[in-house]
Amino acid sequence: MTDTALRSAPKPGTGTRARRPEAERVRSRPAQVALNVLQRAWLIVVVFAIWWIASADSTNVFIPSLESILTSLGRDLFNGVIAEGAAYSLGNLAAGLLIAVAVGIIGGLILGETKRLREIVDPVIHFFRSVPQAALVPLIIGAFGIGQGPKIYTIAFACMWPVLLNTIDGVLGVEPTIRKFSRVYRIPRGLHFRKVVLPAALPQIVAGVRVALPIGITVMVVSELFAANKGLGFYILNSSATFMVPETWAGALLVGVIGYILSLLFVVLERRILSWYFKSGAK
Amino acid sequence: MAIQAAPEDVQVATKPLLQVQGLTMSYGFGDSENKILNDLNLDVNDGEFVSIVGPSGVGKTTLLRCLSGLIQPRSGTVSVGGEVINGPHRDLAVVFQDYSRSLMPWMTTLENVAFPLQGRGVGKKERNETAEKNLAAVGLAGQGHKYPWEMSGGMQQRVAIARALAYNAKVLLMDEPFASVDAQTRFDLEDLVIDLQATLGVTIILVTHDIDEALYLADKVIVLAEKPATVVDVIETGFGDHRDQVETKADPRFADARARILHRLRDH
Repeated sequence: MTDTALRSAPKPGTGTRARRPEAERVRSRPAQVALNVLQRAWLIVVVFAIWWIASADSTNVFIPSLESILTSLGRDLFNGVIAEGAAYSLGNLAAGLLIAVAVGIIGGLILGETKRLREIVDPVIHFFRSVPQAALVPLIIGAFGIGQGPKIYTIAFACMWPVLLNTIDGVLGVEPTIRKFSRVYRIPRGLHFRKVVLPAALPQIVAGVRVALPIGITVMVVSELFAANKGLGFYILNSSATFMVPETWAGALLVGVIGYILSLLFVVLERRILSWYFKSGAK
Repeated sequence: MAIQAAPEDVQVATKPLLQVQGLTMSYGFGDSENKILNDLNLDVNDGEFVSIVGPSGVGKTTLLRCLSGLIQPRSGTVSVGGEVINGPHRDLAVVFQDYSRSLMPWMTTLENVAFPLQGRGVGKKERNETAEKNLAAVGLAGQGHKYPWEMSGGMQQRVAIARALAYNAKVLLMDEPFASVDAQTRFDLEDLVIDLQATLGVTIILVTHDIDEALYLADKVIVLAEKPATVVDVIETGFGDHRDQVETKADPRFADARARILHRLRDH
């Protein structure tokens, strides 16, 4: 199980160490912030500028001009068509992720702590993990019906695996001396889970959630391509089916932007809940 | 009845606080059985400071793991206050060799020290007060808000000692506690432990490969040697309560004892 765990777990020091020289440079704070924003934004701005110019005179129906895409996007955002869809989709994503994180962490803690159970369940986990998650969407919706519930379950199911596997891996990686400490000082089981194993595994768990996030967004869209009447996926499918190509592009673009914003928010969250980890790793 | 009770009381009072009887430990079974400890017997009295010294790999850590209840011996018993232990025991606290790994980096120093008390159901206010008091006892008053990784190695080991003291066990087991700090810090920590033992009266069993350290700290030095390990000598140091890094180590008795241990270890 250890070697199949996702490789994106932040190792102590990496990342933080890379950013250190930057942080140590002496610069006024607003100037630093402006510079950081500029450093990250310039390429996006250039890409959009090229896209805008190159597509401006497009006569190909399937490649509309960026101007028309953004016009459609702006219009449908303001008249609520797409905003309502986005709210529905993001609600599903949030609910699905929440279930995935809860089940993944609890399951991972239990499996990580009990070797026998882990050995029994291991092949099953790897089987389900290997099934392409998007392929399960029609099955789950077929089995559970068309409402909002099955969409949430599908997202939860797809997002659970990276969280589960990383949690198991994090639990297995708990420092043996800390385990000995916990035994010698007779820390009760519940407290041991909450205050020793969970925090020790948290960096890995968070890395798992970070991997789950884009999977969730993909499955969120795919789940709305089947038997749906609202949501971002439905918006994309519906506009494409009715040859409203700029709207199709607008929907895809919006999903990308939402994904980007969510990953930025996630970084902020990660820095907050793992502040001890990043600070100690930087030393 | 009263007449009958009296001799019993005397017997209880003179009985060693920690007693090891016929302790044998091996890893593996059958042909691959590797015997580590062979029929070990130890008596440690209340308030005594005992060092267990022996070369690297002799089985000191295995012995300490048996004493702390982390592993069950193949045969023989470890008892504390007359009670045979069969796992980690309320009256046994351990200071681990590797301080940087035994403290939890996600907790502040104060939380680290208070945590075992939380496990025992002590209320937050009381356990924080106890933790603060014990941090002060090891010379870290007012440092509880810091995280372990914000401290030097010597300070981290002080925190680990404070945590063991706060647990308020009768016996403190220390596994090469000063092996990974520099010489000066090591002397400071040795003197700290001597002071703490004198003021708190806690019983300490310290495992080390360093003969000087074993002699300097202890009332009684137990020498382990041979394979599987057995007790080859027991030396009462007789330095009393007052010890000084320069004077004590220059004492002729210190040199004699040192030579005796070296001979013992060479002969086996």
